[in-house]
Amino acid sequence: MVLKRWSLLLCLSLMIGVLAACGSNNDSESSSNSSTSNTSPSASPSAAAEPSASAKQEKVTLKFFTGKVETVELINEMIKAFESENPNIKVEQEYQKDASNVIKVKFASGDVPDITTVYAQDYVDQGKYLDLSGEAFWSRVLPAIKELNTDIKTGKQFRAATNVTMAGIFYNKKIFDELGLKEAHTWEEFKSNLQVIKDKKPDITPMFLAGKESWTLGHLIEFMAHGVIKQKYGVTDARKAFINNEADKLQFDVPGEGIEAFAARLLELKNGKLINKDVLTATYDNQKEAFANGQTAIISQGMWVLGDLLKLNPAIAGDIGFSPFPAIVEGTKPVALSAEDSVYAITSESKHPEEAKKFLAFLFKPENLKSYSEFLKSPPAFTDVTADWGPLKDQAAAALQSGVNIAFTDTPSGFSGDDSGRMVQELLAGKYTSTEFATEYKAAWDKAWNATNK
Amino acid sequence: MRIFNKLGANLHLFMAVPAILLFGVFFLYPLTQGIGISLTDSNGVTTPNFIGLQNFIDFFQDDRARNDVMITVYFALGSAPLLNLFGLLYALFLDRKLAGRGIIRAIVYLPAVISPLIMGYIWYFILQPGRGYLPHVLTKLGFGNLDVNWLGESSSALVVLILVNVWQYVGMTMIVYLAGLQSIPPDLYEAATIDGAGKRSSLWYITLPLLYPSIKINVVTNIIGSLSVFEIIVALTDGGPGYSTESLSIYILRMLYGSFTGYSTAVALILFLIIIIPVFVFLRLTRKSEYEL
Repeated sequence: MVLKRWSLLLCLSLMIGVLAACGSNNDSESSSNSSTSNTSPSASPSAAAEPSASAKQEKVTLKFFTGKVETVELINEMIKAFESENPNIKVEQEYQKDASNVIKVKFASGDVPDITTVYAQDYVDQGKYLDLSGEAFWSRVLPAIKELNTDIKTGKQFRAATNVTMAGIFYNKKIFDELGLKEAHTWEEFKSNLQVIKDKKPDITPMFLAGKESWTLGHLIEFMAHGVIKQKYGVTDARKAFINNEADKLQFDVPGEGIEAFAARLLELKNGKLINKDVLTATYDNQKEAFANGQTAIISQGMWVLGDLLKLNPAIAGDIGFSPFPAIVEGTKPVALSAEDSVYAITSESKHPEEAKKFLAFLFKPENLKSYSEFLKSPPAFTDVTADWGPLKDQAAAALQSGVNIAFTDTPSGFSGDDSGRMVQELLAGKYTSTEFATEYKAAWDKAWNATNK
Repeated sequence: MRIFNKLGANLHLFMAVPAILLFGVFFLYPLTQGIGISLTDSNGVTTPNFIGLQNFIDFFQDDRARNDVMITVYFALGSAPLLNLFGLLYALFLDRKLAGRGIIRAIVYLPAVISPLIMGYIWYFILQPGRGYLPHVLTKLGFGNLDVNWLGESSSALVVLILVNVWQYVGMTMIVYLAGLQSIPPDLYEAATIDGAGKRSSLWYITLPLLYPSIKINVVTNIIGSLSVFEIIVALTDGGPGYSTESLSIYILRMLYGSFTGYSTAVALILFLIIIIPVFVFLRLTRKSEYEL
């Protein structure tokens, strides 16, 4: 009996031990997480087989840590090419689905990668990244993207982006033409378009939201609700306001401002049955399928969705329309996300910064950037690269002309897009009124900001 | 020679050394570290400051945390009794001589060997309102009005989670009960029959009392498993809508990744207590009965 009780105690200790170890700063358990990595299979066995290629130079292994699943294969191919050009450098790519969180464990356990696609203001503040300000490639980068890559606090660049991404409203041109609809720039126009679709095409969902996946709802906050703040203060000042939590500018809990207006608008759509009724259980895949198959007329997404839409239905290429998000507060303008995509940073703890820079320089070669952009269907951020990146090239340019260009939000690391998306789920589930939502949103933001800005 | 004899007599103690070492290094050490971290404002990256019991105070003042405790407790209160009830019924049913008994046992047990994460996604594909197999079948059969958004409503989502959990682990509970049933000597039943006992009396006065150790194991493991539920919820509802089906384990992970490392470790310790208290209460209440057997 006593033994039984002891063994039970041990089992329970085991569970808490595992949980505790995850939070530990420097114990052995933390580092075990990295052993689950999906280290690239093509991390050049051939290079390993020729250790004496450059006789006296020591072989250097670079760890490249990425959270971009869609580029793993392409980067592996580039790594092969890089390694054949540089036989003394081996690059190991590691992909993690939850990279932005896994890197915390890596920093804490000392298993720090040399190059990473994960970048957060907290880590900049803690000196985790190498200063790339002096690098030669900056003269080739679009000025707007260079500005977005500049740290607000120090004025230095700790990351470089190879591409530009955009987000806005994707609509089905065929349905729009059939019903005589035009791109909406105001909220009234947007709602009226949805109403017409609902009335004239009852089998089609006017707008489809993928609410089971909270990040998609978090994006609505980031682009539509924060868009009000971002257009009011411009890219740099808005970023400062978010990073420094300047409450007088953010006005998260003020009725009629971005957050409250967004919540009220979303509830209008829900109550008017203008969005899918299974909004809380529909997935990103469901959303893509619905749009590709013409079952919905409108979705809110970024350019990253394009490749999948074309894969699901190549014939839809000519029917995809792209416009900015409509203005949700009267007197404001429509907005379109135009921001950095595919960012790279070198960690300050890297033992091989020169080799890491060499690898970045390789990735930034015009021919590599061209194939990367065409593969990702995303416009390049370098002025000397011309890529045929996709069917929305002209429409995207037009959308950026007609809407104010906004950037991603610098959120506190404890309040990610997933977290705000979960709050939007609660809103859609009927837990809040729009004013209550705004109050709760501010409380959650402040709590997370205070936790990382002690 | 005497030394060797002595060594031989205590060999079992020496053999335990590697296990104790491993346990110490991988469990006791992190546990003590965890207690230390729970008393700090650690965010996992910067140097933590000692803040005493503030994390524990914060926990009891946090609405979301309190909600998650209730969700976790409701889940366990639903899961543990159902698992035992159905596990026992299956065991009693499949302990009899039936054609295809082995196959039925295997089918009942099979879900337990599948990862709960995969099981959750399978059930998601079955139940997803408007798109899953079940709504499709219901509509085909003319019961389209029964296609309710079970996973989108917080109360029904929790019921679905409990049922899926029961479905997955009932085989595990059944196996323990079956083992218990097979250890009961058949002559006891024969003697009871000679004395004129019916089936119900045999079940009540022989089977259930002699199954006591199995009941105990099952109740304790089910309480532990249900209170630490994680994967099924992640796959089926991801804690949603909002936070309405978020269990404490998911809360701990999200807090940890949200830079509240000290706080999440404190919550892990609280979960430890939440699990250990009902287990000890149950063991205490049932101790006397076992001695009597």
